[in-house]
Amino acid sequence: MSSVESSAQSRWLRGIRRTVTGLHPVSESLLAAVVGLLVGAVLMYIYGFDPWRAYVGLIKGAFGGSYELASTISRATPLVLTALTFSICLRAGMFNIGAEGQMYMGGIASVLVAYFVLPRGLHQIVGLLFAAFAGAAWSLVPAFLKLTRGVHEVISTIMFNWIARWLALYLAIFVVVDPRRPEKTLSIPISARFPVLVRGTDLSYAVFVSVAFALAMYFLLWHTAIGYEVRAAGLNPSAARYGGIRSKRTMLLSFVLGGVAAGLAGASIVMGLPPTYAIYGGGGLPQLMNLGFDGMAVAMVGRNHPIGILVAAVFFGGLNAGGRVMQFYGANPVPLEMVRVVMGAIVLTMSVPELIRLFPMIRRRGEDLFGILRRARRTERRESA
Amino acid sequence: MSDQSAPSRNGFFLRAERITKVYSDGTVALKEASLELRPNEIVGLLGENGAGKTTLTKILSGLLPPTKGRVVSPKGAVRFGSPREALDFGIGMVHQHFALVGTFTAVENVALSHERPFRRIRIEETRRKLERLIEESGLRVPLGVPVEKLAVGEQQRVEILKVLSRDVDLLILDEPTSVLTPLEVDELFAFLRRLRDQGKSIILITHKLKEVGSITDRVVVLRRGEMVGDVKTSEASVEQLARLMVGQEIEKEADAVELKTDEIPRAASRREIDRSGDGVLHVENLVVKGNTGETAVDGVTFDVYAGEIFGVAGVEGNGQTELVESLAGLRVPVSGAATINGENILGLDPRQIYRLGVAHIPEDRWELGLVLPFTLAENAILGVHRWEEFRGPLGLMRWGRIGQHVRRLMERFDIQATGPNAPAKSLSGGNQQKLIVGRELAKDPAVIIAAQPTRGLDVGAAHYIRQTLVEMRDRGRAILLVSADLDEVLAHADRVAIMYAGRFVEVCPPDDLDRQRIGMLMGGAAGRETE
Repeated sequence: MSSVESSAQSRWLRGIRRTVTGLHPVSESLLAAVVGLLVGAVLMYIYGFDPWRAYVGLIKGAFGGSYELASTISRATPLVLTALTFSICLRAGMFNIGAEGQMYMGGIASVLVAYFVLPRGLHQIVGLLFAAFAGAAWSLVPAFLKLTRGVHEVISTIMFNWIARWLALYLAIFVVVDPRRPEKTLSIPISARFPVLVRGTDLSYAVFVSVAFALAMYFLLWHTAIGYEVRAAGLNPSAARYGGIRSKRTMLLSFVLGGVAAGLAGASIVMGLPPTYAIYGGGGLPQLMNLGFDGMAVAMVGRNHPIGILVAAVFFGGLNAGGRVMQFYGANPVPLEMVRVVMGAIVLTMSVPELIRLFPMIRRRGEDLFGILRRARRTERRESA
Repeated sequence: MSDQSAPSRNGFFLRAERITKVYSDGTVALKEASLELRPNEIVGLLGENGAGKTTLTKILSGLLPPTKGRVVSPKGAVRFGSPREALDFGIGMVHQHFALVGTFTAVENVALSHERPFRRIRIEETRRKLERLIEESGLRVPLGVPVEKLAVGEQQRVEILKVLSRDVDLLILDEPTSVLTPLEVDELFAFLRRLRDQGKSIILITHKLKEVGSITDRVVVLRRGEMVGDVKTSEASVEQLARLMVGQEIEKEADAVELKTDEIPRAASRREIDRSGDGVLHVENLVVKGNTGETAVDGVTFDVYAGEIFGVAGVEGNGQTELVESLAGLRVPVSGAATINGENILGLDPRQIYRLGVAHIPEDRWELGLVLPFTLAENAILGVHRWEEFRGPLGLMRWGRIGQHVRRLMERFDIQATGPNAPAKSLSGGNQQKLIVGRELAKDPAVIIAAQPTRGLDVGAAHYIRQTLVEMRDRGRAILLVSADLDEVLAHADRVAIMYAGRFVEVCPPDDLDRQRIGMLMGGAAGRETE
C-alpha cells in the first residue's frame, strides 16, 4: 500500500495538522473563540438572522459601557471559581466534574447566615466559611470513595451533582425557605451581603473573592512546595511517588480546594447577587443552574491556568451578558440560545487538535478497507474467469 | 554515497537519497544522508546519541516523512505514510521503546499486529507460527503471560518476534542487545546471520563497536546528522570507526582505550575496605514479590560497605528491579530486613528513606526519574523540594535559589540545555540521565542505589556517569550498582553478585570470574554448586 510519491493533498493535510497541533496554548484558545463565533454566525445566517448586527449587539451588550462591563464581570465571578474547581483537580490528575453539586451545597450553606446576627465583615467571612466548608465536604465524599474503594471520581462526582441538586432544591423549598415568599429562600441579612460595587448594576464586591482566590491558587500551585507536589503528582504519579510525594494527600488537597472554590461560587451568587440576595427554589434554582458545567468550559479555554481562567471567564461572562442584549437588538432579534451554540462550538473547537491527530488514522482505515474490497473483487473475477 | 558502486538498478532493496530532516523545532537531525540497502547484508548504523541514527531509520520505516530527499526502491520512489505501509512493503523496525499492549499476551500482541479491519484475528495460527519462529530464532518468551508482566528483555524479544512474523525483507533493530545476556546476544546474532543468508537486509543501530565488528558486513557512521563513513567492516579498523563516530582526536588515553576495545577500563578501589560487621547498607533474607505475585527476590542477603561499589549483574527480570524498588521504598517486601547505618528502611516511604541518606538513580528515567513536562529546575528538586535550601517560610519555593542550584548542576554535570526553564522532555537521553544523577548526588548521600544508570546513553555520557560513580565511591560512599551491562559491572564493582531467579548465585570480586562462568551463572546453568 505504499503510495508512489505523496499526493499534494496529503501534504496539505499534514501541513494543517502541524499548524494546529503546534499552536501555542493561548493562540489555540483564541482560535477556538473565533471559530466558535464563526460557527454561530453561520447558523444565524442559515436561520435568517443578521450575524453582523447580532454580534454588534452582543459586543455592545457585553463591553459597550460601564453598566455592560459590570454585568459581564458579575457573570464571570462564579465562573472563575467553578472553573478553578475543575482545573485544580485536573492539575492533580483528577477529573472533578462535581463543581455543580459542590456549588449548590455552598450556596445553601451560605443562606444559613440569615439565622444569626454578627457584625458586618465578620458575618460575611462566616458566610464564606460556611459555603467553603459545605463545598469541600461535598467533594470529599467522592475523594474518599476513590481512595478507599477505588470508585472513579468522574462517576461519583456526576452522581453527587444530582444528589446535591435535589437536596438543595428540597432545602430551598422546605427548610431555609422565606416564610413570607415561599418561592425563595431567606435573604441574606444586610450585614452579610457583599455591597454593590458599581451602582445600578449587579456587580458586587464578591468579584474580589473570586479574583483573590484565583491569584491564591496560582500562587499555591506555582510557588509553594504543596503546589509543586500537586502538579508533580498530576503529571506523573510514579515519579511523584519516587520523589517522596504522597499522592493520596495531594489528591485529597486538590478535592478540598476544588470544593472550596465551588462552595465560594455558590456563596458569590447568594451573598453577592442583588437585588434579593437569596436562592430561588421556584424554577429549579435558576440562578445557580449550569454554572458548574460552564466553569468546565471556562477552565478549558483558560487552559487550566488561574490567570487564563480569569480572562476566559470574562469572555464567557461577556457572552452571557451580551447575549441578553442580542435578543432585544434590531428588528429580527437573535434568541439567547444562540449564545449557548457559540459556547458549544468553542468547546468543540478546543478539542479539535486531538481530532485532527486522528485524521491520518481514519484515512488509513479507509484505504485498508478499499484495499480489501479491491483484492476481494480481483479474486472473485479470477475465480469466475 | 554508494550510489556509484551499486552493480545494477536491481542490486539493491531500498535506497535513501539525499535525505534531510528538519524537525518542527528547527533541529536538523539529518543532512543529505544517503544509504543503500542490499539483500544478504547486515549494515551497522553507528553513531553517538543524537547523531540521527534513529531519525534515518524512522524515515525508512515510515514513521517520519523526510523534509527533503526520497526513498527509492527498484520499482521507483516510495513514500510510506505509516509503519503499517512500510511493513506491507517488507520493512520492519524494532524500537528501543516497545509498542506492546501490556494486558495482552505475546500471542495476542503479534496477532494484533496482523490485524486488519473486518478480518478475524487468528490466535491459534499465530501461536503456531510464533512457536516455530521461537524454535528457529532462539528468542524464547512465555507466550501465555500478559507482556506487562514480562521483563524488559523478554518484551524486546516479543517485539522482535512481532516484526519477524511479518516476513519482512528489511529488519531494523534499534540497539537490540542492551537488554540481553551474552548468550542471548550470541543466539540473536546467529539468527540474524541466518536471516541474512536467506537474502534479508538488516540494519543494526548501535554504539557498541564490538557488535559492529562481530556481526556487520558494512558500517555506516553518522555524526550530527551527517554521514561521515560508509565502509566494509572487514576493511575498517576500530580506531578509524571510533574517530569517525566521535569526530575528533580522542583526548584522553583512557577514553581511547574504551573506544578502541569497547572494554571499560577497570576502576577498582585502591583502598582496602574494612568488611567487618554490617555494611552501611545491610540486607538480610529479603523476600519481595513481583507484579504477578510471584516471588521475585527470594531471600537475598548482602552488605554494601562504605567506599565500595557492589555490583549486581544478571539478565533483566531476575529480581533486580524488585530488589531496588524495595530498598528505595517503592515496593513493600514480604519479609527480611534492611538497614542503613543500623536503621530499618523496610516499609518506609521514599521520603523517609532519602532522609537516611539514600540516593536512587532509577531504572526507568521517564516513568520514575523525571516529570517530563516539568522544567529542568522543577525536576532538579524532585524529592528534595522540601529542603530548607529550596523551601522558604510558609512553604514558598525559592525559585531563585533553585535556578542557581540548577545552573551549578548544569555546569558540574555538563548538562546541555537552554536553561533552567527548559522542559525536561526537550533534553536528550544522556542529558536527562545526567540531570537525574546530578540531582541524586547533590543530596550528598551515604548510599547510592544506581539501577541501569547508563542504559541507552552514548559513550561520552555513559563514561561520564561511570566516572562520577567511581568518584563517589572513592569519597567513601556505599554504592549499589545494578546493571544489565555486564562489562560495566565487571569493570567498576569491587564485588559482584550474579542474580538469577531472585537469588544471588555467586558473590565475589570480579577478577575471580571468567566470562564463560559468568554466562553460565547468568543463565542459571551453574546453579549453586560452588557453595
